Amino acid sequence: MTELRELARRLLSEGTVNAVLGWEEGPRGARPAFVTTPDGADRLIFDPRCVHDLASYLSPRRPHLKKLGKVAVVLKPCDARAVAGLIRETQIPRENVVLVGVRCGGVLADPESTAPLSETTVADRCRGCPDREAKLADHVVGTAGAGFPGPSRRAQKIEELAAMPVDRRWDFWQAELSKCVRCHACRQVCPLCFCERCMADKSLPRWIESSPHARGNIAWHITRAMHLAGRCVDCGECERVCPEGIPLGLITRKIAQVVSDRYDFRPSDDPAVPAPVGTYRMDDPQEFIL
Amino acid sequence: MSTTTFIRTADLKGLVADFNAAGIGVAGPARTSDGAVDYQSITSFDAVVLDAQPRNSLKQFFLPPTEPLFKYARQGQDVAILEVPMSFPPRVLIGARPCDAAAVEVLDRVMNWDYKDEPWFARRDATTIVTFACPGGDRSCFCTAVGLAPDATRGSDLLLAPAGDGYVVEIVTPKGQKLVDAYAKRFATGAGVDATKAYRDTARASVEGHVPARPDVIRAWVETHFEDPFWAEISMRCHGCGGCAASCPTCHCFDIVDEPETLTEGVRRRNWDTCQTSLFTMHASGHNPRHDQCGRCRQRVNHKFAIYPARFNDILCTGCGRCARTCPAGQDVTEILTRIVAMATGQGGAA
Amino acid sequence: MDSATPAAAGGFEPRITAFVCNWCTYTGADLAGTSRLQMASNVRIIRLPCTGRIDPMFMIKAFERGADGVIVSGCHPADCHYNAGNYHARRRFAIFRELIQFLGIDTGRITFSWVSASEGAKWRDIVNDTVTRVRGLGPFTAYRKLVVDPATVPAAKVTSKEVPA
Repeated sequence: MTELRELARRLLSEGTVNAVLGWEEGPRGARPAFVTTPDGADRLIFDPRCVHDLASYLSPRRPHLKKLGKVAVVLKPCDARAVAGLIRETQIPRENVVLVGVRCGGVLADPESTAPLSETTVADRCRGCPDREAKLADHVVGTAGAGFPGPSRRAQKIEELAAMPVDRRWDFWQAELSKCVRCHACRQVCPLCFCERCMADKSLPRWIESSPHARGNIAWHITRAMHLAGRCVDCGECERVCPEGIPLGLITRKIAQVVSDRYDFRPSDDPAVPAPVGTYRMDDPQEFIL
Repeated sequence: MSTTTFIRTADLKGLVADFNAAGIGVAGPARTSDGAVDYQSITSFDAVVLDAQPRNSLKQFFLPPTEPLFKYARQGQDVAILEVPMSFPPRVLIGARPCDAAAVEVLDRVMNWDYKDEPWFARRDATTIVTFACPGGDRSCFCTAVGLAPDATRGSDLLLAPAGDGYVVEIVTPKGQKLVDAYAKRFATGAGVDATKAYRDTARASVEGHVPARPDVIRAWVETHFEDPFWAEISMRCHGCGGCAASCPTCHCFDIVDEPETLTEGVRRRNWDTCQTSLFTMHASGHNPRHDQCGRCRQRVNHKFAIYPARFNDILCTGCGRCARTCPAGQDVTEILTRIVAMATGQGGAA
Repeated sequence: MDSATPAAAGGFEPRITAFVCNWCTYTGADLAGTSRLQMASNVRIIRLPCTGRIDPMFMIKAFERGADGVIVSGCHPADCHYNAGNYHARRRFAIFRELIQFLGIDTGRITFSWVSASEGAKWRDIVNDTVTRVRGLGPFTAYRKLVVDPATVPAAKVTSKEVPA
């Protein structure tokens, strides 16, 4: 923590950046912090409650943060994958941001949690995560725990669903997706949902019905999953913010498995590796095409 | 003081069974499949969970996330309007929280302002709200700062508070009286309101002091600090996800859309909307008068604590604290209001 | 061919929407027609410039509007009029297919194929096989039931007014 604060203080006092995006102690646990003065660096914390993906704040769809100018952002390895996605898709120039990596051995599911990090309290997405530090970072601070072995409970649930008859899966997803109120919180927090105008907001033509009925909801969640295929970095924010508790991570995780199996692509923090959708190989498998 | 009666817990269970038998819908706070507590349809009082604040509020029972307003069909040069029924079967909401019941009455004002909202009041008329005095809240609760209390009767038809082997029942409205009369055999004489004092005091103590009870000061400051840098500062962490509005018992903005079903037929629907998204204020020209998140965060506070009071002499907030609990970025309304009071009363407040 | 003959009166006739590329499959379907090949008449063709233009959203829209099945077809690999449109589409279709399968939609309702301008007979077979298969799956009521039509509940009253000019 001292190392992180000293680095932030130096970046701010030397004028390298105008703001450091990190975490602070909020009224209800850890929360994102925007530190703009060297003295403010003492507010910064990093512990397993720092679950938020701060890369979301680098998205160009946040004009109110543009006035901060050049910023440094504190990143867990998973967050660095999101930054790499933004660089890969030419949304932020690499030289416009200072990346401060924190070594990470997994985080809790909930930033309000007071439980120690353990096999039972760790966020499910951290199970089996191989990354302890961000290779993309300019600076890396802190020490990492050993991490937690997979498989994740989500992976087990996906297998369980895959084994069901197709109409039972339909029933499962209808029960879940019918809860959706189409607040689009999943989109708003997503670091890779950076479209200036989302397809879901377009009304001429209206491709995705905006009504939160089952038909509009499935169209939205299919579109969201398709648009994130090969881009989702599994930061878990969509599922965490869903006010209705829909297990959105099952869908994004399933797509990640498909992309990994078919195209041998796993999201990394290397922006030079091309994304699987938008590229192709002439010998891609096409067993389903007659 | 309203009149009181008493109901034993066993009779409360019987009452829900009576409702079921009479074909009256019952909803209350119950556990969901993902472990949370939501207000939802129930068939037995045993399912009711009273010691946790439900994740959702009561507004969905009066303003559903989506509802059809009418169906239209083009017939040559004419449009035929096929109206959907605006009558709803009777329903009892049991185990409502005082903050959520009060919110419904707060919303009656805007729903009957320049236009009487037909589906809202049809559902209101069909619904009886049986509230349970709140056992106490967490650090984000502040009902006492907006003129309410964990045992406030506002918006409730009956207010129950535990005493002995049952609940003291305050009969708040004629509708509540009607329910008691219709099921008189379930009610009995028992302890009076005095017996619930310790319970009420404990609950009150748990929510007091989280926000200074100065709504007038908050309103005055918000009305005069439209361009204050405070808004830019607090809005930085906001994702504009609208989780606050979705979970809020009083956020009631809606969008109206026409959804074609075929080339000639379609449905006009009303859907929840929120001022936290860019699309909410987007003009057809592409101009957006509320062009960034700073203005949207300000709007939420402004509407609740200044605009609504100015128009309806009522605060559009019941202090339930859901927005603070649900915010993925740790935005906290108690912190915002406390800082506003501090700034207004000259006690600083800058971060 | 069985699927080419009209079903017995009252039998279920699926509605199939076909999204095809302009350069290969549309021309192939045209060839099937001009060659007077007999095939089922259940398919409504929507012509697009390229399979690369076929957004998965189109297929969802088809189901929303009452299709029981969908055919997606374009140029064979290496034959794309725009060089690579079908290669890009192939990845999207593969992911889409696994996604909807995961969400509980029977992938038997969607046929993906490559049909060239000279393959009129292949188009006939794709159409007939798809109609037979979807007829076996029955109407896609699961999707149609997603929204309860307010018109199915008794209407209170009907009014009428002029369409604004």
